[in-house]
Amino acid sequence: MSRSHQYIMLVTSLPHLGKMFTRKEVPISEFRLKQRLSMLQPEHLRLLRELVEVTAWAGVARYNRDSEVLRRAREVIVDLKDYPDLQHLVGARMETRTVIAALRRRREDQDTAGDIENWGFGRWCGRIAKHWSDPGLGLGNFMPWVAEAHRLMQSGEHIAMERLSLTQIFRQLDHYGMLHEFDFEAVAIYVLRWVIVERWSRYSEDAARERLQLLVTAALGGPSELDGMAADEPPPGQGLFADVSPALQGTIS
Amino acid sequence: MNEFIIVLGWFGLYAPVALGAIGSSWGCTLAGSAAIGAMLDSDGGYGRFVGVSLMPSSQVIYGIVIMFTLQRPDIDAANGAALFGIGVLSGVTMFFTGIRQGEVLASAINASKAKPEIFGISLAPAAVLEGFSVFALVFALVLAGSIPA
Repeated sequence: MSRSHQYIMLVTSLPHLGKMFTRKEVPISEFRLKQRLSMLQPEHLRLLRELVEVTAWAGVARYNRDSEVLRRAREVIVDLKDYPDLQHLVGARMETRTVIAALRRRREDQDTAGDIENWGFGRWCGRIAKHWSDPGLGLGNFMPWVAEAHRLMQSGEHIAMERLSLTQIFRQLDHYGMLHEFDFEAVAIYVLRWVIVERWSRYSEDAARERLQLLVTAALGGPSELDGMAADEPPPGQGLFADVSPALQGTIS
Repeated sequence: MNEFIIVLGWFGLYAPVALGAIGSSWGCTLAGSAAIGAMLDSDGGYGRFVGVSLMPSSQVIYGIVIMFTLQRPDIDAANGAALFGIGVLSGVTMFFTGIRQGEVLASAINASKAKPEIFGISLAPAAVLEGFSVFALVFALVLAGSIPA
């Protein structure tokens, strides 16, 4: 099957995911999604696995240091050289994580950005360091949601914060998804959206509170750099996303 | 020189069929792939997906009609160039509209799978492309009447 026909068939076989936060459950099970993704070529399966690994919590959770996550993200971006929109997507995702990590660090009374080159990614690092005391981290003109994220984080509205960050990520995916209909990028963006929808479908306030308590406990015991870097993701083993990505990686490996 | 024009004439005579067939097969493959994929994700309505995926097959039919209209008892220097011009250009039209129709039908199938209520209106772009094919057909028939026998 030629590539264009392969992707037309694969994309049309995937159900519409709908708008963010509108579904209680994913429209396609992980098992079915695995089956459909088996239509992909081995090289594309490998790239998709890398993409999910570097953008999903379960993927980055295996790394102990932010610098390792950054290195892995840069490697994935190089591997995606034939797919510039996916490169931009990974970059945008990492930049979003950097912003949220900065907000968390500031909430933890960190006075300066410190060695932001070791925990931050992308074009905003210098600006964040320069405008550390600004609620919007100096990004108000580029990312208006940062000030709102700051407010939510300061007021302890973690569920709303989670919702806001997922909304921004979903918008990034929507933006690049508009540019692709029947190609590898379209499939990759679909899978990334599926991961988010699946994660949100597992979300519950009780679990979130329990997770927050664990986070606080972990932070008091010595926050790792990774905690700050992946602050927009839930920790593994909390049932929100824990068994999604590993299973998916198993599928596409 | 005359032999070359006669060759062009034969080339133009068969071009609508050949190019139309390529366009139709390409378009039907694109739309058909979408229909098959949609069937994996649907519990019903298979017939309409397959039905619309066959829409690009009209281009080869138009090509056949144009070929018969252009056909002359003798192809010579007097009509060879006209047969070439009309045949090749109408064939290219069928080729292009067939492929593009397949692409918009694939999009229509994909979109109407998510929102079944837009199935009808989503076929409008494909219908417009069909109209362009018909334009090429009709005016090829009109001009064919001016070609010397």
